Amino acid sequence: MTTLSALAAAILLLGVIMYAVFGGADFGGGIWTALASGPRRREQQESLFQAIGPVWETNHVWLIFVVVVLFMVFPAGFAALFIALLAPLVIALVGINFRGAAFAFRHFGRENGKTLPFVAEVFEISSVLTPFAMGMAVAAAAGGSIRLAGGQVVSGTWDWITPFTIGGGVVGLAICAYLAPVFMTLRTVGELREDFRQRAMVAGWVLGVLSALEIPVAVLSAPVFAARLPAPRTLACIALAIAFGLAAEGCLWRRLFRAGQLAAAGAVAFILAGFGAALYPDLILGQLSIAAAAAPRPTLTAFFTVLPCGVVILAPSLVFLYRTFGGAPNPENPPDDFRV
Amino acid sequence: MDNVLAARALMGVSLGFHIVYATIGVGLPLMLMIAEGLALRTGEELYHRMARRWIRPAGVLFAIGAVSGTILSFELGLLWPRFMKFSGPLIGLPFWMEGFAFFTEAIFLALYLYGEKRLSRRALFLCTIPLTVAAAASAVFVISANAWMNTPSGFHLAEGKAAGIDPLAALASPAWPHEAVHGTLAAYVATGFAMAGIYALALLRGRRTRYCRKALTLTLAVGTIALPLLLFSGDWAATFLAHHEKAKLAAAEAHFETGAGAPLIVGGWPDPQTQTVPYGLKIPKLLSLLAHRDPNAVVTGLDAFPPDQRPDPRLVHPFFDLMVGAFFLMALAAAWFWWRRWRSGDFPADRKLLAAVLVASPFGMIALESGWLVTEFGRQPWAVMNHMRVAQGATPAPGIALVFFLFLAVYLLLSVGLLKTLLRRPAEVQREERDHDDA
Repeated sequence: MTTLSALAAAILLLGVIMYAVFGGADFGGGIWTALASGPRRREQQESLFQAIGPVWETNHVWLIFVVVVLFMVFPAGFAALFIALLAPLVIALVGINFRGAAFAFRHFGRENGKTLPFVAEVFEISSVLTPFAMGMAVAAAAGGSIRLAGGQVVSGTWDWITPFTIGGGVVGLAICAYLAPVFMTLRTVGELREDFRQRAMVAGWVLGVLSALEIPVAVLSAPVFAARLPAPRTLACIALAIAFGLAAEGCLWRRLFRAGQLAAAGAVAFILAGFGAALYPDLILGQLSIAAAAAPRPTLTAFFTVLPCGVVILAPSLVFLYRTFGGAPNPENPPDDFRV
Repeated sequence: MDNVLAARALMGVSLGFHIVYATIGVGLPLMLMIAEGLALRTGEELYHRMARRWIRPAGVLFAIGAVSGTILSFELGLLWPRFMKFSGPLIGLPFWMEGFAFFTEAIFLALYLYGEKRLSRRALFLCTIPLTVAAAASAVFVISANAWMNTPSGFHLAEGKAAGIDPLAALASPAWPHEAVHGTLAAYVATGFAMAGIYALALLRGRRTRYCRKALTLTLAVGTIALPLLLFSGDWAATFLAHHEKAKLAAAEAHFETGAGAPLIVGGWPDPQTQTVPYGLKIPKLLSLLAHRDPNAVVTGLDAFPPDQRPDPRLVHPFFDLMVGAFFLMALAAAWFWWRRWRSGDFPADRKLLAAVLVASPFGMIALESGWLVTEFGRQPWAVMNHMRVAQGATPAPGIALVFFLFLAVYLLLSVGLLKTLLRRPAEVQREERDHDDA
């Protein structure tokens, strides 16, 4: 029972990582649309816009995946988290809607040679707002500010705002802002690629510093979480995150873009895995354990029965999608040597 | 505004909004598959052009469907955490399966939408097949969760908690088969008629092109083929209600008093105080005949239930009649169109006939929304029939009224943006489309 629920928690963490790596890069696209600069500002924005198009809806489904796993396998945790984190989740949700709708309106407007006012701004603002609110909500599970008594949430509506969760929001933003330019180096050429390469390297250091800063913040603001960091599994994740991060910087330096992309995704995955490892065996730090939050065994069995069937359909479809739209971002104008 | 009422209002608005896009998300893939299949089979380029022209606005609608669906998945926790804590282990399974179906749908939609220059024509057509299947599967799985709320199964209560949990039995709750069939068919009807209406309007406005005629014929054909099936699945649903959801049937039919040889009441405004239906048209014995296949059978009325466990017929009966009325309106328009087409052997260019198709076109969606309201209002005051009241499932967090108004504003902005994006297209694009119609 405990093993099954821990395994299910690993799937949940995997969903969060997939959403951060794929969905996060799309939000990062919005962030870098706002931050585009230099002589190729327009080209940067244009290539980001085109790269997001075919994949953002699919990447967004990872969020639904996370929510569904949470309420199917950890219904008690789902209920507690969604009561305690009403405010940040509502903010993230509004951001998700405006980001998606603004992108779709812009894309359609582009095809018809007509654009709505404010749509670009809405897209950029909601691309910043959503990862920040999401990062805060995820950090809040470990921040120690959600309190339960007899399975009921007793902490207040705004208790989740602490220096630690604000740090979580900033790290969430940094993850998105790091991944987007890394992924773009594979999809652009020439000077535009150099633009993204530079931004990726800077964003990598920013992410590293901010993640490292979150540790002293945790010591001050989330001491229970900080006390769990020295466990071997957590330290292993942190070491791997640092190793992958440095490898990514090295790859970008030497212009090994394909390897750089994998290393960057690995760094982000291990930052989040480290967070999960420190939180384990709890779902809400010190208040609700994974085992206590888990659904009865028949539900877990059903969950693990459907999982491989779903993966068999999903994995090849995802590979086909990313292969089809890999390379130069403009779907209307694929590279000459491109064949599926 | 009371917290529970705000939660109900927000969930209702969210679902009512999402249903429109979810319906198109189920219906349109089938149209794409048929059009691309026809293009490949007959070599008629016009059908391929048709599908490609649909997919651009559809891409926007699908995106709105995806994000508004996300609102719903969050609202399950934000508004109904106690309901989900109870039901999650049971109805998580259909949502889990739906998750994979939705994933597949999103992937093949993206491939079809963006892949024209990167995939062969054959591959594009092949993408529409998993798209159509996954879209229908999504609908069927999500409806399972709703069916479980109507006829909960796969557990028993022990000390107020669900015990003996069997997710498979919960997945296949008694109401699932008819709800899934009826709901999915309704999506095809609603999409078919809505699209036919767009072409009827174009033809009425003087765009008398071969393209519009072919498109109207194809979309109306899909709607018309599914329409009579809806009559059978609706009858199946009603006879099911007569045995398993008696209060809902009684509220839908404004049937107050249990009795033999019950009349069918059409229209009218049910008055729970006097237990009468002023202005209603009574057809003797028809309700007994329809519900139990026997004109003298006893049909349970609302009086068989304690007053605090009765759904309000004022919220159920009018929507039920609207749904049934919408069916007959569509059936008449479709029958007229196909009869004229068969008689003349060609596309009927009669303006009155086109106007009739146009008038009937929104009623598929209206019927679908009404049917959903019937099944939801008809279950009140229960969230999980006979096990959990709506108020028991709501969130204890305060300030839901504020969240309600916030999301109301979100939906308004999305709707305005959507209408502005889709309707106000530049004249040169429209002219270009028209020029290409008969190319």
